[in-house]
Amino acid sequence: MDSSAEVVALVGVGILLTALYLQSESFVDPLIRGIAVQSLLLAVLLGWLAWTTRSVDLAILAGLAVAVRAVLIPYVLRRQISAFRWRMRELHAAHRVTGHALAAVALAVIAWFVFQQTLASIFPQPGAALPFVLLVEGLLMLATRSNTIVQVIGYLEEENAVVYAGALFAQGFPLFVEVVVFLDVLGVVLVAVILSIQRDVTGTPEEAALEELAG
Amino acid sequence: MDWATQIVNVLQAATVLLLSPLIAGIAYRFKAWTESRTGPSIFQPYYDLAKYLRKETLRPANASAVFLVAPFVAFGAYLLISVVVPVITPYPIPFASTVDFLGGGLLFGLAGTVTLLAALDSGSNYAALGASRTVSFAAFAEPTLIIVFFAVAVITGTNNPYVTNNLLSSSTSAYLAPTHLLVTAAFFLLLLAETGKLPVESAGLMEFGMLEDGRIFEHSGRLLGLNRWNGWLKQFLLYSVFVNVFAIPWGMNAAPTVAGAIENIGVLLVKLLFLVGVIVLVEATVAKVRLFKIRDFLALSFSLAVLAVFAFAVLGVP
Repeated sequence: MDSSAEVVALVGVGILLTALYLQSESFVDPLIRGIAVQSLLLAVLLGWLAWTTRSVDLAILAGLAVAVRAVLIPYVLRRQISAFRWRMRELHAAHRVTGHALAAVALAVIAWFVFQQTLASIFPQPGAALPFVLLVEGLLMLATRSNTIVQVIGYLEEENAVVYAGALFAQGFPLFVEVVVFLDVLGVVLVAVILSIQRDVTGTPEEAALEELAG
Repeated sequence: MDWATQIVNVLQAATVLLLSPLIAGIAYRFKAWTESRTGPSIFQPYYDLAKYLRKETLRPANASAVFLVAPFVAFGAYLLISVVVPVITPYPIPFASTVDFLGGGLLFGLAGTVTLLAALDSGSNYAALGASRTVSFAAFAEPTLIIVFFAVAVITGTNNPYVTNNLLSSSTSAYLAPTHLLVTAAFFLLLLAETGKLPVESAGLMEFGMLEDGRIFEHSGRLLGLNRWNGWLKQFLLYSVFVNVFAIPWGMNAAPTVAGAIENIGVLLVKLLFLVGVIVLVEATVAKVRLFKIRDFLALSFSLAVLAVFAFAVLGVP
């Protein structure tokens, strides 16, 4: 494995570790910081690929990822919980660290097997399964959590998986840039809309209003 | 077997036996510094050992021979491990071919099992409680250890610690491979749990949540001394495997001579001092987790070990 592939592999495993951390954490503030770190790692990956392929598009994407995913969205989310940052946690999912960490690992293994059976022939490069695994981890988060902010974080994790997949498989493809920018904007809009609706319902951004994402 | 090899063999066993209390003493001293205390002398474990060996051994009324024999069996197991793992040589010494990683794990298991049996044999509820807790958490720790062995096996294609040391010290890419980094992290967490360090256990305080010390609660005199020595041996051996095989595989003199082995004792001490410093730093910065949260800690270690094998499967390289 050449040094470029080694960097991609290391950052990929780092992203997977953040996914495991997100699954096993129940407090919201560390979760927000966790998704920021995951996004930062993704930006590092994009930056590295931009450097090795001399791609301006990817460099812009890396900058966007840092600005929007690692800084702006976490900042907006943390502002929403600023009054109760130290105590806000997932309440409804009967959250157990051991169970969730083991479930996350088991799901990663299952996702890898599914990938091997379905997409491995199309994407044979090493580490190609990691974005797929990340996507499934994001889905697990959405399925097992009910807190509004944590649901948004699950969505952001899935978004990160899409960007990760695009960075690996669609390098230099202009449409990919547009899709990523769209996802970034969508992420910001989603956060803003969900929080403003919650606020309209309750009047102010109170803790109880964020405990569950009601449809 | 030439005389130099025999001397190196004896030297390695003597290093483990004689320096294990010193490393424990240095750890106590470092820890005292982090608590703004002067702390005991780094030779305190030797003084304690001498004191225990002079004292009378008392046996609980209902205890059988198991209670008396167990510390010696455990001591023998640790002594055997001390001549089969890389401690002061990066090349296999004669006994090394006796067991591989898995065999070493089984010997650690033997020592742990006889200590548990002795605790149960004492008839003391408190010792039995310690034994029961230890087994409860070992049920989570043992699978991690097995997965760590699997990960080591996929890195090198063999389960031999000397081959692992050789590969990792000669190949930067193998050292920086995600599988190796993850398995090192998993083994480090396991090391904290197995040697009774925070956040799992604050050993030596005779507190209610103690695990390792709970098992030897009924032992006294020479048997208690031997049990304490066993604890230091286990710690020294696990530390040696961690630094020489996983974390810092470099720096050992590969010349199969007595002088080379003596030089490697110094190298090992420097590595161990660094590791002790790191562990004391961890102990100074984390709080003890609640008893039932220890499973979470071990689950994290297990997850990292599984991810190490997973990374190999996904990335196709160690």
